[in-house]
Amino acid sequence: MSAWGKTFFVTLLIAAVSACSTQVSVQDPHIPDPLIAAMPLSIGVRYPQSFDHFVHEEQVIGKEKWSIDLGASNKMLFNKLFGAMFAEVRIVDDAADPATLGLDALIEPSIDAFEFSVPEQSQTDSFAVWIRYRIKIFDRLGTQIANWPISAYGKSQTKTFGGDEALRRAAVLAMRDAAALIIMQMDKSTGISTLVSNDDTRPVTGEPAARQTAVEEQGDDAP
Amino acid sequence: MMLHKPSTPYAGMILRSSLLALTSLSLGACVTSSIEGEREGVTGLETGEGVVIMAKSYHLGNETENDFINCVGNSIGRGREGLRVVPNQEFVDALFPWFEPRTAPADTKGLPDLMLRPGVAQMIKDKGVRYVIWLDGNTDRVAGGGSMSCAAGPGGGGCFGFAWWTNDAKYEASVWDLSGLEDAGTVVADFSGTSFLPAIIVPIPLLARTQSKACKGLSDQLKLFIIDEPEPI
Repeated sequence: MSAWGKTFFVTLLIAAVSACSTQVSVQDPHIPDPLIAAMPLSIGVRYPQSFDHFVHEEQVIGKEKWSIDLGASNKMLFNKLFGAMFAEVRIVDDAADPATLGLDALIEPSIDAFEFSVPEQSQTDSFAVWIRYRIKIFDRLGTQIANWPISAYGKSQTKTFGGDEALRRAAVLAMRDAAALIIMQMDKSTGISTLVSNDDTRPVTGEPAARQTAVEEQGDDAP
Repeated sequence: MMLHKPSTPYAGMILRSSLLALTSLSLGACVTSSIEGEREGVTGLETGEGVVIMAKSYHLGNETENDFINCVGNSIGRGREGLRVVPNQEFVDALFPWFEPRTAPADTKGLPDLMLRPGVAQMIKDKGVRYVIWLDGNTDRVAGGGSMSCAAGPGGGGCFGFAWWTNDAKYEASVWDLSGLEDAGTVVADFSGTSFLPAIIVPIPLLARTQSKACKGLSDQLKLFIIDEPEPI
């Protein structure tokens, strides 16, 4: 077989393989600024590594393989959300001891499960995405005070958006759903507002008293 | 008048196809319609006031098509009596998260509490939204039949057969008046249309544009409903 023939054959093979797999990417969910009043709390947020680059792959039985890459979308979502919900937000890394940071609370969000259905499975013309987040909250001494699971759902029609775009939109709608649920229910479900400190026992950190979030300091996806 | 005899069998088939198409056209792809309105109070729009079109939540099982929502928004905003329509996504984003599928008020009883939330009343005022129009319903294929087969070979290809289907478009628009925090009324549109697809070599679609006619009919009625024009004497 000539070199040209080999190239053609390999190209054809790659095209055939890639035709059985669909990749969707959500690099920025574009969560709007929430229209809410901030709680007078200073919180720290510790993200798991999966929030920097989250990829979910699923083989639909008898159909094609789907891969959805959320990138750092979850981090952007929670940065925007907590930045609006609390007076002060700081991103805390694994090495830091939250008890020395003078925080009212430490929040650890994570993803328990990510699922989606395609039109062939649901026998509708819609893609649906379910994301189950878990939010753990610790008080200033590091004692866990809440372990709250959240189930979020998003659905998008293929008629309006193409298949890839409909799945991307369903994922974004599920993230917005999670944000709405957290804003509506977080205090009721976890009692986080009771952790506000009324004394001056916090260590002096030299941080500004005015509202300034770590998100704003990062400057990339700040609200 | 003299009719020329077709010179080849192929020309004869084309002539028959054309005759069938004309016959089918005369049968038409008809759409029957019914629009009903129920007014709860006096409506009207002041300068700078507008409307926003929303779909009822999919959490409640609603499946109104995005195409239909866009169509109603565009139709209401067009023409001599066109209303000011605030884009749906712009409104939902500006009021995030209070008009998300999970959080949007299910009825007007939820409006007073919503307006008390920080910044909500001011944002609605800034956006100039007087009415929220909630759409519910969808277009379904309710019947169909016939058969058609197509084949292709080295010398060409073609289809033969006849298919038909009926679409039913049922939509309800609930109008909320945000100035009085009350229900202004409801407009219900029910359209039904049957499409035909005869084929002798070439398929000739005779489509009943049920959904687009429902969109036009509902939009026209909503415009009249909101402007609240007095009936001509």
